[in-house]
Amino acid sequence: MSGKNDNSLIGFDPLAWMSDDNVDEDGSRQQQQQKVIDEVKDEQVDVEQAPEVIEEFKEVSDVSPQIEDDKSDCKIILESVLNIQNVTVLYDQLLKALESNKPVEIDASAVSIVDTATLQLLAVFKQETVKLLREVSIDFPSDKFIESARLLGLADLLDVEQSAAGFF
Amino acid sequence: MAERVVAIINQKGGVGKTTTSTNLAYALAREGKKVTVIDLDPQGHLAVSFGVVNPKTNGIDGVMLDESEITQNLVPVRENLQLIVAGPRLQEIEQLTEGGAKRGDLLRRALHENLNDQDFVFIDCPPSSGVLVANALFAADEILIPMTSDFLALQGLSHMMGTIKRFEKVLNKKYKLFLVMSRYVSTRRISKEVLETMLEHFPNQVLATVIRETALLAECPSFGKSILEYRPGSRSARDFRSLAKDFLQGKVM
Repeated sequence: MSGKNDNSLIGFDPLAWMSDDNVDEDGSRQQQQQKVIDEVKDEQVDVEQAPEVIEEFKEVSDVSPQIEDDKSDCKIILESVLNIQNVTVLYDQLLKALESNKPVEIDASAVSIVDTATLQLLAVFKQETVKLLREVSIDFPSDKFIESARLLGLADLLDVEQSAAGFF
Repeated sequence: MAERVVAIINQKGGVGKTTTSTNLAYALAREGKKVTVIDLDPQGHLAVSFGVVNPKTNGIDGVMLDESEITQNLVPVRENLQLIVAGPRLQEIEQLTEGGAKRGDLLRRALHENLNDQDFVFIDCPPSSGVLVANALFAADEILIPMTSDFLALQGLSHMMGTIKRFEKVLNKKYKLFLVMSRYVSTRRISKEVLETMLEHFPNQVLATVIRETALLAECPSFGKSILEYRPGSRSARDFRSLAKDFLQGKVM
């Protein structure tokens, strides 16, 4: 956030991020991604301590680092209730998405309950895809999804902070 | 669909969205353009500003709920100018929690292949960032943001730009975006500083005419008239005539 000069009647410029954002889009997107990864280490939830299923993601990403030119999207629609009982189903979906080498869109509009295991899984998925320079977006996150992600300090990493009442 | 579909949007209240919608639409209609204005604010103030005061009249609510065609809800309010009122159930749409992304696409689908004879469709948005605004952003190709010259308006604009960029990314489109300085008080130093900040971040996007704050603009809605009808010789009427020309010509600061 940029400051203004001493005589200014505007203490700080709330729009300064727009200029920063343009710089990133022009040339340093990778730096921004790395910054996101670094920041997550300071979050309340230590994603490195997530369940075994998360480690499997890393194994998959290690053996499939190539990026194909195919730009058609891979869509995943999240269920209303996401908990430890069905996290393996989501894991399988994410695994397939990771193997497809396509941009991944995750529709979180219907989510009414989401537990820590699921959010951790999504967080690690996001981390790994960032490392692979793959495009992943969580679209239309519901209020509950955003609220839970914030509670665990994962809203920034999952990029669901800039919401429009459950749309984005 | 009309030649230009423009969402007049700002999630902050009191910045002049409805005043801009009313008077810009009327000024363009006076220029001979065919204009439709949609009242997407459940408060229904746009309709009141044009003298349409029956709250039970169905409008864009029924269209978005797929119960009627948009062409069945057009209310001719002036020459070249037609209105679609909010309708009593628009608030229900704002509170929709089911339907996923589809609930954001109701207005765009309603406008699809309709109003083809119109030069402009303006969507007067509510002061929020919910389902209705999402519908406006799905449907529109252009955005006009009225801005007041105070710090909190800048803060609100920052948040809204985040939302707009998110929409652009997800919908894979780039909005044509203009801003208009509204309720401008030229004697305040902060007004100039806010304007400078806007010009810094939105070069070639702030329309050249500033709409100055006047008492007349607060008075005319109660008479159901635009400022050009209420006090045609006033400086506010001149401001809006000038703004309409800027908007047509893309004239910016």
